[in-house]
Amino acid sequence: MRTPYRLIEDEDLRAKIRVVQKGDDDYPACLELYPRSPKLLYVCGNLPDPSVRSVAVVGSRGCDPYGRDEAERFAGVLAANGVQIISGMAYGIDAGAHKAALRAGGRTFAVLGCGVDVCYPKENYEIYREMIETGGGVISEFEPKAPPNGWHFPVRNRIISGLSDLVLVVEARLKSGSLITADYALEQGKEIFAIPGRNDDPLSAGCNRLIAQGAQIARDPEDLLAALGLYIEGKNQKRERDILKGALPLPFEAKTKFEHADDFRKVYGCLSSRPVSLDELTVRTGMDIQNLSAILVQLCLSGYAAEETHGFFCKV
Amino acid sequence: MFCSVFSAAIAGVEAVPVSVEADVSDGLPVFTIVGYVSSQVREAQDRVRTALRNVGFCLPPKRITINLSPGDLRKEGTRFDLPIAAAVLMAAGAIRADSLDRTLLVGELHLDGRTAHVTGILPTVMAAREAGCTACIIPLANDGEGRVVDGIRVIGIESLPQLIRYCRDGTVPSAAETGKSADFRENAGDNAAPAVQPDFSDIRGQAGVKRAALIAAAGFHNLLLSGPPGSGKSMAAQRIPTILPDLTAEESLEISKIYSIAGLLPKGIALMKNRPFRAPHHTITAAALCGGGLTPHPGEVTLAHRGVLFLDELPEMNPRTLEMLRQPIEEHRILVARARGSYVFPASFLLVAAMNPCPCGYYPDRKRCTCTPVEIRSYQSRISQAFLDRIDLRCEVPAASYADLTGESVNEISSAQMRLQVEKAAAIQAERYKGTGILFNSELNSRMIGRYCDVSTDAEMLMQAAYRQLGLSARGYHRIIRTARTIADLDGSEVIKEAHISEALMCRCGKESPH
Repeated sequence: MRTPYRLIEDEDLRAKIRVVQKGDDDYPACLELYPRSPKLLYVCGNLPDPSVRSVAVVGSRGCDPYGRDEAERFAGVLAANGVQIISGMAYGIDAGAHKAALRAGGRTFAVLGCGVDVCYPKENYEIYREMIETGGGVISEFEPKAPPNGWHFPVRNRIISGLSDLVLVVEARLKSGSLITADYALEQGKEIFAIPGRNDDPLSAGCNRLIAQGAQIARDPEDLLAALGLYIEGKNQKRERDILKGALPLPFEAKTKFEHADDFRKVYGCLSSRPVSLDELTVRTGMDIQNLSAILVQLCLSGYAAEETHGFFCKV
Repeated sequence: MFCSVFSAAIAGVEAVPVSVEADVSDGLPVFTIVGYVSSQVREAQDRVRTALRNVGFCLPPKRITINLSPGDLRKEGTRFDLPIAAAVLMAAGAIRADSLDRTLLVGELHLDGRTAHVTGILPTVMAAREAGCTACIIPLANDGEGRVVDGIRVIGIESLPQLIRYCRDGTVPSAAETGKSADFRENAGDNAAPAVQPDFSDIRGQAGVKRAALIAAAGFHNLLLSGPPGSGKSMAAQRIPTILPDLTAEESLEISKIYSIAGLLPKGIALMKNRPFRAPHHTITAAALCGGGLTPHPGEVTLAHRGVLFLDELPEMNPRTLEMLRQPIEEHRILVARARGSYVFPASFLLVAAMNPCPCGYYPDRKRCTCTPVEIRSYQSRISQAFLDRIDLRCEVPAASYADLTGESVNEISSAQMRLQVEKAAAIQAERYKGTGILFNSELNSRMIGRYCDVSTDAEMLMQAAYRQLGLSARGYHRIIRTARTIADLDGSEVIKEAHISEALMCRCGKESPH
C-alpha cells in the first residue's frame, strides 16, 4: 500500500538514533523547565547546541509563494549568521525554512509528529537526510515507527517552541498549528515574531492577529538578529532582492535582447507575489497571448518570474 | 429444393457478405437455422413464418433448413429476416430461383410482413457493391441511407408483397423511387446543422482557451483544460468541433459507416457532415470506451473518430479505463480482442480532457482553495505521467470575470474565423506531409521532427535554455517542438521562430506539484 510517509531503512541513518531521557546530561536544559516536557526524546543526529541561538520558523503547509519566499529569506539569513533553524519538516513554510538553512550552510533541526525514523511527508526525504548529515538532527517524542497521527502534531509544537529562543510565524491561517506553537511560545516566555500579510489574505490572518496581540513585526531577518543580540551594523547580509526594488535595473535589460523593454516592464509590473493567471495578464497588460508568452518565457528563464503552477505566474 | 440469396453480416465496422441458404425437403415440419447465429437471428424463424402467413403464404409442412454461410462468422441482429424469407419463398417455389441474382438483401420483418429499420445499412450497401452485386434490397426506412452509395441500385421496400412482386415481374415499388426517398436524398446532402450551432464567439474573454483550442485544432494536438468549476471548460470543448476543417467525402463516409453500425445516425440523416463530439460520463466502463461485447461493438473512441472525444472530470475516471486510451491515442486505432474474434476499430480522435486543479477546484487561488497540499498532490497524481505525456497542450481556464460576462461582446473571435486559420494550417501540413502517411503535426515522431521542423538559431538558443532550466525530458522536448511547428504553421512560417517556441513552452503539459 502507498503511504504518505517513508520508514527510514538506511543503516547509517538508523545507527544515529538514540534516546535521551529527562535528567540525562544532554537532555535539553531549556525543555526541563516546562511542566509538560517529554520524558523521553528520540534523536537522530544531534540535538540543538544550547550555546548557539535557535529560531523556530513555522507556518502553513499550503503556503503561497510569498510565504515560501519569506521563510526562505529569513531562514537563509539567520542560518548564514550561525543561528540554528528549528521547524517541523512539513510541506510549505517548514520545508522552505529547512532548505534555505541547508543552502546557507547552517544547521537545522526538525521536530516530528511521527517516529524519529519516519519521514513524513516522504517527499521531504532529501531534507531529512541532509539535515542529519550536516550536523543537524531530527527529534521526536514518539516511539520509533510511530505513524504521523493527527493528534501528534499540536503536541510536538511545544517542543519546537521549547527548543528555540525565538519563534517566527511566517504564514498562518486563523486556525492553524502555527498559532498553537505561538501559544506554547507565549507560555514558555519566548519572543514571537510574525511576518505581516495583506489584510484580505486568509493565509496571513493568523500572523496579523498575532501582531495585533503584541507579537513583533518581522520586516527583515536583521530584526530577528537584533532581538537575538547578533546584529552587527554593516556586517549582516543585505536582502538580495533590494537590488530589484523599484524600476527594472540594468542587469535586467542586459539579460534580455528584446528591444521592447517597455513591454517587459509592463508585464513585470503586473506580476506580484500572488500567482496571476495568463488570462488575467492579457487583460492587465492588453497584450496578446503570443507576445505575452514570449515575454513571460524570458522572464521565467532569466529568473525574474516563476510559473507557480501551470498557467499562473508570480514575481520571484 | 435448395436455394440461396445474398446478405451481409456486420463484423467490427465492416460488412461481410453472407449467403443465406434454404432447403425445403420432406420430413417432419420443422424450421431450423444454423450457421453460428445469435438468438436474435434464431428468432427470425417465428417472425418469418408468421409474416409469410400474414401476407397470404403458408409454409408447406416440410422440413425447412436455413444455413448462413460462412459458418465461422458470428451473425447477429435482426437484419437476416428479409433474406431468410426470400430464401424460403424461393426454396418453396413461390418466386423464381434466379430472380434475386446479384442482389443483396437485409431487413427486419414485422409479423404483418412490413419491413423495419436495421442498423449498418451503409457498410452493407458498400460491401454489396464491392462484392459485385447490382442491386440491394433494404427496408424502406433505410432507403435514404442506402442511396448515399453510388454505383448500385438500391431498392427500399415497405413490405413482403412488394418483394414478391419485384421478384415476379421486376416492379419496383413506386414509393422507393419517388416522393419519400427524394426527401432523404436531400437530407443526405444537407449539413445536418442543429438550429443553433455553438460558436466560440459565445465565450466572452478567455483568450487563452481560444488560442489553445485553435492550436489544438490546427495540429490535432490533444488538449487538457484545467480550471475551477463553472469556468467554461466544457463550453470550450464543445466548440472545438466547429473549428476543425470540414470532413472530406471519404472521412464523412468513414464516420457514417461507424454511426450506421452503432445505430446512431440521426433520424433522416444518411451521411454525417459534422465532426463527431463525444462526451462520455466519467463513470464509463472500459468496454464502453474502447469497444467490447461478446462480438465487439465500437466504443466511444471509435464514435469520436475524426472528431473530438471530451473527457470531463478526468481525475474522477477509473485509472485503469483511462490508461486504456494510451494505445488508441498513439496508434489512432484500437484492437479489441474477444473470444469470438478480434476487431480493429478506427480511433483517430482529438482528445480534450478537463479537470479541476484540486478537489475543491480553486487552487492556486489560496484565498478560496481549502485543499491541503497532500490533497492537491493526490488529486493530480490520479492521472499518470504516462497519460499526460500523450497530451501536447495544457491550458488553464480561469473563472470568468464579471466584466467578461456582462461587458459588450466586442471582437470575440468566431468559430468561422478560427476555422479559416485552422484550414490554412491544415493545408500547409497536408502539403508538407504528402506521402508520409501522417496528416498532422501531432503525429510527428522524433525522426520526422529533425526533417520537418526547421528551428531558427534564436529559437534553438531559447530551447536550450528552457531544456536546462525547466528540466525537460527528451519526450517533453519533442512535444514542445511539435506544438511550436503548429504555431509556426498558424503563423504561416516555415521556420520555427523564437516566438513560436515561447508560446509552445507556455502551453506545454507538464506535471505540476504544489510546493
